Amino acid sequence: MKAHIKMTGELHAAMLKDLTRRHPFARERVGFVFGRLCSLSDGGRLVLLTRYHSIPDDQYVKDHTVGARIGSTAMTWAMQAVYHGRLAREGIFHIHLHGHRGETGMSATDGREIPRLIPGFQSVGRDAGHGIIILSLDHGCGWVWVPESTEPAHVDCISVIGSPIGVFERRRTE
Amino acid sequence: MSKDRYSRQSFLGANSEELISRCTVGVPGLGGGGSHIVQQLAHIGFQRYVLYDYDVVEESNLNRLVGANLTDALAETPKLHLAKKMIYGLQPKASILGIPFKWQDKPEPLRECQIVLGCVDSYKTREELEIICRRYLMHYIDIGMDVHGKDKPVIGGQIIQSSPGGPCMRCMGFLTDEKLAAEAALYGNAGHRPQVIWPNGVLASTAVGLAVDLVTNWTGRSRTHAYLAYDGNEGTVRESLTLRNLAIKECPHFPLHEVGDPVLVEL
Amino acid sequence: MAYPSTQTDDLKPYCEKLSVLPEGGVSFLMMENLRLPAGCQPAMCDALLCPVAKDGYPSRLYLSVQVASTYTRNWNCSNARIGERNWFAFSWRVDLPNPTLPQLLIAHLNGFAKEK
Repeated sequence: MKAHIKMTGELHAAMLKDLTRRHPFARERVGFVFGRLCSLSDGGRLVLLTRYHSIPDDQYVKDHTVGARIGSTAMTWAMQAVYHGRLAREGIFHIHLHGHRGETGMSATDGREIPRLIPGFQSVGRDAGHGIIILSLDHGCGWVWVPESTEPAHVDCISVIGSPIGVFERRRTE
Repeated sequence: MSKDRYSRQSFLGANSEELISRCTVGVPGLGGGGSHIVQQLAHIGFQRYVLYDYDVVEESNLNRLVGANLTDALAETPKLHLAKKMIYGLQPKASILGIPFKWQDKPEPLRECQIVLGCVDSYKTREELEIICRRYLMHYIDIGMDVHGKDKPVIGGQIIQSSPGGPCMRCMGFLTDEKLAAEAALYGNAGHRPQVIWPNGVLASTAVGLAVDLVTNWTGRSRTHAYLAYDGNEGTVRESLTLRNLAIKECPHFPLHEVGDPVLVEL
Repeated sequence: MAYPSTQTDDLKPYCEKLSVLPEGGVSFLMMENLRLPAGCQPAMCDALLCPVAKDGYPSRLYLSVQVASTYTRNWNCSNARIGERNWFAFSWRVDLPNPTLPQLLIAHLNGFAKEK
């Protein structure tokens, strides 16, 4: 299934600016970005990102085994936001930044830790798509869990509709 | 193919060829304006297209339809076929989704685009295209021309860039209730709008220039919007006077929380 | 734009479901399965009531299908794209001073039931 994520240039810039800020103790910053799921012509899915939530510094938990860990307050906020976004079928995406240029992907830690959040989001926002986005300084990748799916669709393209336009495509290795 | 093919446009930036090739452009309407646009996009190196037109070539099109000839008029060649032939002739590996219907009947393919170049002939259709572009996050570049006055004809036209988050065609003073009302009042009696190739060429070229800048940012201007007014009698393209008093920072007509499929709030 | 509940409540008996659809700065009232006057074919269809000036009319009623009725109407709006659906409307001008929403709806429905 084809999956495409779009966002405005303004939103992309705001997320990059926030995620590149130093945190007092975490090695990385994370945030939540909200997106609305719609269909594409060939059965694919399009996620339109709408707004970003920066996680306050004091809602991180010290854990040196991972780049960043957020605490229960941040997760509670996220769940409530998913609940309130149900009418608009607005789902939630965990987002963070790998501070290099070029294509990026999930680290082993990312792959182990982040997908665990998804079933909880799905249980609250059943009709929305939820997922994971990882940005680099000039690229990005993502995974989308559509409603009722246990496996994600690997996002084929992230478009930044700004000036200039950014088109981050997944190079198919298969 | 020689590496020199795009050497004359290297000023667009070191990665411009790749950036251009990755962008998907939608062109609803392949008539006088659309045929120009498609030709230029193909020359520049755009590879991905979503095209709409349900019409065929007629003799009355031959004064302005780029790529059409007498045989096409006799054979009633679909305009879509003409456009595809033009693109493939320059970009054999192009990916073209050609839809022989009105875009309103099959709008979903447009959602994949980053840029939509509208070459339509009514204010109503322009309004509808802008709405879908705002809903599904696409830059919308609109062109149009008209000729006023019988005794002393005056050619006018516009090239407008309406981008998500920026001022829309209403904000910029182009779309107004008065224009839409006047157009609606003429329904069925609008007749054939005057159309000639050289103004279409100016408008299409300027539109393609805006599109290339959106992709490559070669000017460094990072435009959030544009409204360029064409005076066909003077031969000028100038920023519309309506932009001088534009104080709008966030478009009130298309708030960003209204993106995506329509949300019905039950009462 | 928020509509007074006193008025929207009085629209509900005319349809199965009433919702607000915001688009392009206009808040349309979406009526699912609006019951049409006698003599209409079909007897009901989805409708959008636009209580503000649009397309040259002070208000407009858009329908999901082109409805056949006792009186032949000039369907001068076909495939108007609103809310990612296509809509139809016929030429019918309602000039009422400050109408309530139910008054507006009835006045538009009279386009099927009355000659002029």
